[in-house]
Amino acid sequence: MEFLVALMCGVMVAAAVYLMLARNVLRFLFGLILISNAANLLIFASGGLTPESPPLIEYGMDAPPEGVANALPQALVLTAIVIGFGLFAFALVLVYRAYQTMGTLDSDEMRLAEPEDRA
Amino acid sequence: MSADLTLILPEIVLALYAMGALIGAVYTGKDALARPLIWSTAAVLAVVAFWVAFSSGDGSAFDGMIVKDGFARFAQVTILLSAAIVLVIGQDYMARNAMLKFEYPLLITLSVIGMMVMVSSGNLLTIYMGLELQSLALYVVASMRRDSVRSTEAGLKYFVLGALSSGLLLYGISLTYGYAGTLSFAGVIGAAGDEAPLGLLFGLVFMIAGFAFKVSAAPFHMWTPDVYEGSPTPVTAFFATAPKVAAMAMFARVVHDAFGGVVSDWQQIVAFLSVVSMFLGAIAAIGQTDIKRLMAYSSIAHMGYALMGLAAGTAGGVEAMLLYMAIYVVMNIGTFAFILSMTRDGRDVTDIASLRLLSKSRPGAALALLVLMFSLAGVPPTLGFFAKYGVLQAAVDANLVWLAVLGVIASVIGAFYYLRIVFFMYFGEAEEPFAPEVAMPQMIALAGAAILMLALLPELLGLEPLAAGAAAALVN
Amino acid sequence: MADDGTDRRFLGGPAGWISILLPFGLFLWFAQHIPAVAGGAVLRWDVEWIPSLGVTLGILLDGLSLSFALLISGIGALVTLYSASYLGGHPHYVRFVCYLMAFMTGMLGLVLSDNLLALFVFWEVTTVSSYLLIGFNADEAKSRRNALQALVVTGTGGLAFLAGIVLIGTAAGTFSISAIEGSLADHALYLPIFWLVIAGAFSKSAQFPLHFWLPNAMAAPTPVSAYLHSATMVKGGVYLLARMNPSLGGTDLWFWTLAIAGGFTAVFASVLAIRQTDIKQVLAYTTLMALGTLVLFIGVGTDYALEAAMAFLLVHSFYKAALFLMIGVVDHGTGTRDATVLRGLGRAMPVTMLAAMLAAASMAGLPPLFGFVGKEFLYKAALGAPAMIWVTGCIFAASVLMFVAAGIAAWRPFTGPLAETPVEPHEGPWPMLAGPVLLSVLGLAFGLMPDWAEALVAPAATAVAGRPVEVDLYLFKEVNAAFVLSLVTFATGFVLYLLHGRLRSGLARFKPRFDPGWDRLMDGVAAGAAGLTGLIQTGRLRRYIFVTFLALGLSTAVAVWRAGLSPEIPPLDDLEVKHWSVLTFILAGALLTAFTNSRMTAVAALGVVGIGVALVFIIFGAPDVAITQLLVEVLQVVLVAVAMLKLPYLNHEYVKTVRGWDLLLAISIGAMTTVILLAVQAAPLDLELTAFFEEASAPLAFGRNIVNVILVDFRALDTFGEIAVVAVAALGAYALLKGVRRPSP
Repeated sequence: MEFLVALMCGVMVAAAVYLMLARNVLRFLFGLILISNAANLLIFASGGLTPESPPLIEYGMDAPPEGVANALPQALVLTAIVIGFGLFAFALVLVYRAYQTMGTLDSDEMRLAEPEDRA
Repeated sequence: MSADLTLILPEIVLALYAMGALIGAVYTGKDALARPLIWSTAAVLAVVAFWVAFSSGDGSAFDGMIVKDGFARFAQVTILLSAAIVLVIGQDYMARNAMLKFEYPLLITLSVIGMMVMVSSGNLLTIYMGLELQSLALYVVASMRRDSVRSTEAGLKYFVLGALSSGLLLYGISLTYGYAGTLSFAGVIGAAGDEAPLGLLFGLVFMIAGFAFKVSAAPFHMWTPDVYEGSPTPVTAFFATAPKVAAMAMFARVVHDAFGGVVSDWQQIVAFLSVVSMFLGAIAAIGQTDIKRLMAYSSIAHMGYALMGLAAGTAGGVEAMLLYMAIYVVMNIGTFAFILSMTRDGRDVTDIASLRLLSKSRPGAALALLVLMFSLAGVPPTLGFFAKYGVLQAAVDANLVWLAVLGVIASVIGAFYYLRIVFFMYFGEAEEPFAPEVAMPQMIALAGAAILMLALLPELLGLEPLAAGAAAALVN
Repeated sequence: MADDGTDRRFLGGPAGWISILLPFGLFLWFAQHIPAVAGGAVLRWDVEWIPSLGVTLGILLDGLSLSFALLISGIGALVTLYSASYLGGHPHYVRFVCYLMAFMTGMLGLVLSDNLLALFVFWEVTTVSSYLLIGFNADEAKSRRNALQALVVTGTGGLAFLAGIVLIGTAAGTFSISAIEGSLADHALYLPIFWLVIAGAFSKSAQFPLHFWLPNAMAAPTPVSAYLHSATMVKGGVYLLARMNPSLGGTDLWFWTLAIAGGFTAVFASVLAIRQTDIKQVLAYTTLMALGTLVLFIGVGTDYALEAAMAFLLVHSFYKAALFLMIGVVDHGTGTRDATVLRGLGRAMPVTMLAAMLAAASMAGLPPLFGFVGKEFLYKAALGAPAMIWVTGCIFAASVLMFVAAGIAAWRPFTGPLAETPVEPHEGPWPMLAGPVLLSVLGLAFGLMPDWAEALVAPAATAVAGRPVEVDLYLFKEVNAAFVLSLVTFATGFVLYLLHGRLRSGLARFKPRFDPGWDRLMDGVAAGAAGLTGLIQTGRLRRYIFVTFLALGLSTAVAVWRAGLSPEIPPLDDLEVKHWSVLTFILAGALLTAFTNSRMTAVAALGVVGIGVALVFIIFGAPDVAITQLLVEVLQVVLVAVAMLKLPYLNHEYVKTVRGWDLLLAISIGAMTTVILLAVQAAPLDLELTAFFEEASAPLAFGRNIVNVILVDFRALDTFGEIAVVAVAALGAYALLKGVRRPSP
């Protein structure tokens, strides 16, 4: 299964990078969502994959049984998901704002700094 | 706990000042206060700079989250002083363009606090916090000129690419965290040992990419020219000085404090960044017609040289890098003091060709600018030469002869465009010479920087032992 | 120039007096050391400058540096005296004097420094100040271009020299010239050091193929040409070669490089000298010839050759400075410098003629002038040199042509019938005549009493050779091969002088085209740089992102390569249907998002990916994470859907075209991710921290869900930070939304 997860991460990253390189800023945003998903999966998978045993401690015990899932990456991923969401929300608003100000979502048209005729 | 607070008292004072000033400005309400606020902010920054400079006693606070040592002090003083001077020399420009808003000095103060945290942190999380504090303030000042679409565009590009780099940095930090199980430098250096585990190695690569963006080292420099040109000039002057010092110091701190045991793992990457920056900066600058864009490429090239010192991976290299940054900041302040005064018929101009025959109308300013250009180009006997020489020497001492040789070649190419400015000033042809009014604060900054560049006092103005102490504090 | 200037004060006013007295005083100071140095002493003073870089301002006064210092200060005094009259009323006279003094300081520092770094600093001072001096007539486009050309060529050479210095410091372990022990010829770095030092010296002393800037640099005012381009600056390279001879000389490489470049430059330059009609240009090319000769003989490196070189150094400085100053007087007095026009000036300008004749005779090598002594020694050394034929041939050809050039420059303009000139010929004022007269008379005096020169030539040759050299200069001793060769030279030269008109028109067809090539190179550099920048810095955001990803991808690839990763595919035998279905979910979702041109489809596909990821979390024991993931996923889809109401559709045209390079980069980065993840999974994991949390959760934090305990207890600070980030994002979003209005275009 490790291989499949690695493959998934690879494909997600590839699709995300492709999207982020698009002209339309909205597609950049889709790429952003995809890449943060991929990154979460990456952190999770690099902590080791342990099927179907959540890191819980039974009542009456002081420690979890042997072989439970690694709790640390899970905690990290939880944090990452939330931060990723915050970033996404801000970026979405920024895209909206950019469209309102500049009247386009095409990043190629946002180039006053290097106008076409000068290049 | 109170000892901890004493250690970060300068930062606390600045933060209190920023909040107090903010509340005061909001209540009295008007931007009429902006000018006095700029002066008082500059004064406060300067006072804090002297305070930090003459405070003694190293130590760490909050379980090593904050480390105050010679290195932090050196970087902080450079940051504080340059921010103060940039505030003062930029106010005429702000007044001319109806941009005297009280937020401006306060945002600068906030970003300065962020930078002070960045250079004195002993923990990756603290670094990230400082960095974001700094960056958020900078995103806003970059797009401060609300009536200008160009300024909005600069802000957007800076944000998108900045967020990308912050993301890289954050993933680097989390990879490191995942493998070292700690975020403190002391812990990371222990986990890395003599041979860094794979996960840490990738964490390092991602973090370096993030740092490279912040110091605008090629190939992560893409935002620099557009943002330099699009931002209001005082903001550009600020971008070119304090944040560069902060980012470079932060870079040095992480690679030495957290990854000092595995120098060979990052040395090649930093050397690569250095070479690409030097050449890209030098070559791309040749075709520029706008002096702000030119300064953007110039700063990219200069960061390449500073990185050369870092790439050496030795205390000598860090010392050379710190001296380089200090001299770089002085040169940039002087140059921007002049760029801020560049007006024709009451309008700002930034094209290089408009400098024609400056030597006829303003011989003093032209001479000062000539000295600065020679210094930027690294022509002896200006300090700029000794700055370059120092990093070259550090590279050679670290057996990076190839890097030093490439550095020399890049500086030959780089000299070309600085001299082009001199050429326009002295030998240009124009119907009527360019005669901008250089007001007193700008003139003092310009002339002061030029004089410093020629003042060949022993030990480089007494900075040299300070830098050596700072480097020794960082590299054991 | 400024002969009709209104602001004429005696000798240029205070600035002029200082500029004259200063070099004169220095000259006297240096002169008082002659006896000591002639006695074999080497004087030195040390001043600490920048201790951290090991830069000591060591002053080293031996025969070589004393000879140069005397020339620099002595001729400097005469030139400033001359300039006070020549440029005294010029509006920028003070500026001129400042540049000249800066130059003189640089030049003196260059020859006196014992430390290579200090030497380099002064080297560049001379480069920069000469740039300002050449471009002094800034109103002329040509003068500006030539100033820049000189700067670029010598500046580039200077930086090569700096690289050489750094390597010398590495190889010898010191930057102090006098502390370099023995020869570096056997050191591993000898080759790079050699070529870098040669690049510096050849560019400064205008050796072929870096010679083209020197004749162009003659756009400078005449005193500058006399001072910089004949007597001092261009000899900086010669000085460097002479100074480094003990450390770098003595190898075959040294000999052949210097002999070929020097010899070729000498002959080539003297041929071009005959071609010129502007007398100043004639002199410029003969200067090149002299430099070539000096380089040639330093390369030969025998005792005789070094003596000859040092003697010729003095000879040349005397007559060439005199001739340059003379042509300035002629230009001043007649309004032209054209050799085809000027005739019969002797009557109107008798003093000038006297100086010119004496100097030219020295240049032609006629007895009893110092030039004859020098030429005899050149021949004597050439006949005893290795590769005798080449050295002798070069020096013979050059000497013959020098004879012709002397005739063109000084004999013809003053003899014969008076020709018409733009200005009625008149004699120059005394300050302008003092220099040429004194220098040419010195040429005669040293010729009659060559013993005087021995006091300088002997210690100088000793310093260059790095071993004691006996010198015996004489005007005439016996009829030997060198003397016969001299006679042949005069005869050939005389014949060629008679034919020089035809020779010149013949040579005019032969035009070495360095300058257009230079201009094309400069234009090409500028255009290339602009093109490159246009390629990288397009202003397109996605290009910037592309470069960022590319750089990231490359550095990770290098890291992967350095770590020596080779992915191993773990066994696939434990796979169940649910695993395959998750894979299908995610792959389909990701690819659909990337390639659809409908916004709604993209959002839905994104949702599918999110659910797939949540399933992975569930399968591998992370239910909390899965729930959060689902929640966030739903929120994201809702937010995007709401935003879409206000945003435009995707442009089908752009979406449909497949962007090949982007796709390639995307796939590479994706593949890299897979490889890294596989490698990381294969490596042993440090579970120490996890173990701590597992053990401590229940007893210390009284929690049974370890993930929750970590979040709210052990790492509560991070969670607080996370909340802060969300809060900042919300604040930012609010700030952005608040002010939205569409600016009027």
